[in-house]
Amino acid sequence: MFLAIKEIKHDKLRYGLIISLIFFVSYLVFVLTGLASGLSNLNKSALEPWHAERIILNKDAQGRLAQSFLPLRDLGKIGNRGAQIAQYSTIVKGKSGQKEENTQLLAVNKDEFIYKRLPLIAGDKFTAEKEALASAKFKTDGYKVGDYFTTANSKEQIKIVGFTKEASLNAAPVVYISFETLGKIDKDVTNGVVLNKKLDKNIKLSDSESYTLTQFINKLPGYSAQQLTFNFMIGFLFIIILIIISIFLYILTIQKLPNFGVMKAQGIPTRYLVLNTLTQTLIISVAGVGVAIVLSILTAVVLPTQVPISISLSSVCVAGTGIILMSLLGSLIPIQQIIRVDPVKMIGG
Amino acid sequence: MTGLKLIDVSKVYGTGSSRFVALSQVNFEVEESQLVLVVGPSGSGKTTFLTIAGGLQTPSSGDVLINGQDITLLSQKEQTKMRLTTVGFVLQAYNLVPYLTVKEQFDLLEKVKTNNLSEKQFNSVLNILGIKELLFKYPDELSGGQKQRVAIARALFADPEYILADEPTASLDTGRTMQVMNLLKRLAHENQKTIIVVTHDLRLEKMADKVYQITDGKMKKV
Repeated sequence: MFLAIKEIKHDKLRYGLIISLIFFVSYLVFVLTGLASGLSNLNKSALEPWHAERIILNKDAQGRLAQSFLPLRDLGKIGNRGAQIAQYSTIVKGKSGQKEENTQLLAVNKDEFIYKRLPLIAGDKFTAEKEALASAKFKTDGYKVGDYFTTANSKEQIKIVGFTKEASLNAAPVVYISFETLGKIDKDVTNGVVLNKKLDKNIKLSDSESYTLTQFINKLPGYSAQQLTFNFMIGFLFIIILIIISIFLYILTIQKLPNFGVMKAQGIPTRYLVLNTLTQTLIISVAGVGVAIVLSILTAVVLPTQVPISISLSSVCVAGTGIILMSLLGSLIPIQQIIRVDPVKMIGG
Repeated sequence: MTGLKLIDVSKVYGTGSSRFVALSQVNFEVEESQLVLVVGPSGSGKTTFLTIAGGLQTPSSGDVLINGQDITLLSQKEQTKMRLTTVGFVLQAYNLVPYLTVKEQFDLLEKVKTNNLSEKQFNSVLNILGIKELLFKYPDELSGGQKQRVAIARALFADPEYILADEPTASLDTGRTMQVMNLLKRLAHENQKTIIVVTHDLRLEKMADKVYQITDGKMKKV
């Protein structure tokens, strides 16, 4: 610790540059993680409050709710183990001049578990026809409880009676309505059944297939490709951090080998020198990551709401810990140099 | 059994046409409380002798006994510990850690070793070497002579039984050279230190209790 701190204090510029480098890469990792998480939420945040186990869709729908149609004759077999759901993609137009929203209308039944689990942040849940419970996004965009809207291809006016926590599906905010309301806008169909309990093995639904919620999310259009792209970028950044730290510490260590040689000649144990190098790496990586955490959280606050970024302290802490571990891993190569340095060669014997 | 002894020590580098004999059948002995000088020209094997005597490298053949123990048989870890507790080096180059102030050079030793010089003894060493006012300076703010004096003080600070010094007065003027040699002599005679100084400066011979001459890796007592 002693040598580590003294050296950083003495060579402020050199270590400042390394800390800056770790900061920039960490910041990039956190922002990309935030964007990946934000876009992921944009695709699936509506599903979280449901706490569902599985979803049953038509077997030909390739796991996509909007493309699925379940025959009505089978739905009675589900009983209270699941909730019917229908998805209708449309444009919502506010009657008080609010901006048009690309929206997913989700029809659910009042007496089923999805409806019961929807978290309210304002107003009430819908109880009658032509009433809707909208995602908080609509509130942010200027809609209020009591406002009316229409949808594309329909003149039916629907009243917003409440707002639920930020909920979106397929990158569009969700509006919950009843099947009766959906029937007024479009044909009354059931696209799928969301299960909150396991189905008995003897219950067979014709032409259907059951998916876990994770499978369902992964089959959302573009979702897997998008997340894979982000994960690749983040993964590569972790490798880049490993390489950068290794190279920087290697160069620094090579420059310091004569000093290490003299210290070894004086009897300073190799273990002490190795621990100091590890401590030094820990200090510079924690400093870089720490600044990046603060700035990335500030960035998420400052960025306009249109940018789908979701940076939570817990997620950046996990990613930050990963970066610090990578940095420590990166210091292992220069540490080998310290272990191997021959004091006699360094002092010119 | 105290003292440092080299028995038939040889050091050979390389093989075949690149074979180079740095030390050849060296026999050397120094007893407790003696100041011994090893004189010889550049390239005669002085530093090789010193690094072998201090356990920094192992000889190709022969024995190196410190206080009766053959240090060539010690593990690397044991040799490091021995250097920290028993042997103090004053080296020619790269003596000081560049990012530590003079005071911190001593603090570093305190971090890894107890039983260093008492504050009174240390202050006395600083005064004799004339470096008390340099305590908060970095090595790059010191002249060559000042660096050398700090390196001597650092070797003394750990209070080792043996001090092995490689050209410790090379960067000092005549007055300071005599002061340093007198200090080393006093340490040997009054503080029971065993001091080996390798140098090419023949003026120092009169200060020593014993003088060895080394030429082309061969050593003889003068």
